[in-house]
Amino acid sequence: MVNKGVVSKDKTKLLLLPGIIVVVVTTQIPFLMTIIYSFLNYNLIRPDLGVSFAGLKNFSRILTDSEFYSVIVNTFYLTGVSLLLCTIVGIAVALLLDGEIPGINFVRTLILAPFFVMTTVTGMIWKTLILDGTFGWSGHISNVLGVNLPDFFSQYPLTSIMLLIVWQWAPFFVLVILAGLQNIPEEIIESSKIDGASWFSTVVKIKIPMLTMHIQVAVMLGLIFIIKEFGLIHTTTAGGPGVLSNNLTYYVFKVVSLGSDVGRGAAIAVVTVILSVTVITLLFNAIQKQKDGQKL
Amino acid sequence: MNNTSLSKQPLPKIVKPINKKNISYKSLKMLFVYAFALLYSFPIIYMILTAFKSEYEVSPPSLIFKPTLETFREIFLNASIWSALSNSVIIVSASAGLALLLGVPAAYALVFAKFKKATTSNSLYLWFITTIILPPVAVIIPITSAFKAVGLLGSHSGLILVYTGFHIPLVIWMVYSYFAELPKELIEAAELDGASKISVFIKIMLPLCKTGIISAGLLVTIFIWNEFFIALNLAGNSAITLPVYMSRFGSQMGLFYAKLAASSTLVIVPVLVLGFLSQKSLVKGLSMGAVKG
Repeated sequence: MVNKGVVSKDKTKLLLLPGIIVVVVTTQIPFLMTIIYSFLNYNLIRPDLGVSFAGLKNFSRILTDSEFYSVIVNTFYLTGVSLLLCTIVGIAVALLLDGEIPGINFVRTLILAPFFVMTTVTGMIWKTLILDGTFGWSGHISNVLGVNLPDFFSQYPLTSIMLLIVWQWAPFFVLVILAGLQNIPEEIIESSKIDGASWFSTVVKIKIPMLTMHIQVAVMLGLIFIIKEFGLIHTTTAGGPGVLSNNLTYYVFKVVSLGSDVGRGAAIAVVTVILSVTVITLLFNAIQKQKDGQKL
Repeated sequence: MNNTSLSKQPLPKIVKPINKKNISYKSLKMLFVYAFALLYSFPIIYMILTAFKSEYEVSPPSLIFKPTLETFREIFLNASIWSALSNSVIIVSASAGLALLLGVPAAYALVFAKFKKATTSNSLYLWFITTIILPPVAVIIPITSAFKAVGLLGSHSGLILVYTGFHIPLVIWMVYSYFAELPKELIEAAELDGASKISVFIKIMLPLCKTGIISAGLLVTIFIWNEFFIALNLAGNSAITLPVYMSRFGSQMGLFYAKLAASSTLVIVPVLVLGFLSQKSLVKGLSMGAVKG
């Protein structure tokens, strides 16, 4: 305290310490433990067997299980297709909302709402009030129009969940892309109009290229959250039938919480982390590369 | 090209000549936009409407009915939603508060602290950011067994600890760029005037980054309020939060759709309000962090 010069410099650094400790305790150490668990025989409902070293047994078991691969495919389908649809819807709706519309705040509020609703409510509401064959709107529309709408969550479980993800996340894309659109200097748009460019070519050749960065941000953040989706699956199909609508996160939950096989669950969790981090890093690097390319 | 899309320059508006064709096109577009917005948010609107129905008016679905507060009255008489609500309020406010309390100073230090090696602060920043992409499944199994061993399973403090740890990186990501925009000379000038490091931080730097800190706080609050996976595994019955409560609605209460709608409405209103308050700063905070990272 007396020695202000050197010590006080260190003090600023100390502000980092509590944050680092809490993050290490809640994320890094448990993740290391998960890696250790993945090499153990460890089953909660068989305490008589004890805990012992399993070597690569857990990994060889999941990697030779065809169920595991279909869950991986489900995860990529859910994440990839919903990100693609979110991007398309995001661009389209943002273009629609850009410009002078009276009451635009109210409209934006309505469109944004699904993003803030918790996934368990979203799942329950869509399952009961909207897509239920007996009490919901889909059943009612079927009756009134005499058409036969499918029972969405039992006939198309994965696609229905994917659509709910899009419904929830597209508003976020709209928000981010709209912010980008409103940053495009009006002179550029005006001058392209004066040059006789059509609405379509203005959008494709000028607006969308200028939105690249915003679209990338939206996709990147969307990916981080959508790849670990859980609540929508749990409340609508509970992963079923079978593992047809499991993603990796749900599969881990099922193996550990319902199957009590800690070793196997940990091994799946480890593979999940490796896959998620790889995909996110690949996308991130692709974005960086493209950015560097633009600078040159 | 990237720079132009980022910079916000107020530009003179070009006044367009008004003609009749333009007006009818505009009102058509307006109608379409309104219709689209109503349709898009229809599940939420219908949910709120259903909350004002009595149970026997739910099926077949309709938009015309005699509104009643009966369902809400029944919901309010139910003790279990009150305990879930109070758990949620306690857990969310404590963990969002702690995440800010630990995250904001950390972000400040990452920007302004001097390290022996110049790259240290950047690699620490990257380390924090990479934990954002760590999915909760990566940690949930050991945390569950550790909590079971020390009696934190089903406790407020257990959930608060995990939520704080998981959201500190998010706070850092959102606040970092606000600090980085501040000129370093500010600190030097204040210190020349005899202010201490701490008072520079609290009295000068914090107020300048108020917007960033508030939007980080709002976003973290919304995320934790809606968080389901961690709560499902750690909350048990004694610390059950609203998302878990809602997920069990069918099995615990039987499928009473009006009650489901009324409870859902109650549960989402706080975040809808927060969300609308924060929508603009939310985009800015998130995308600024992304540009940095």
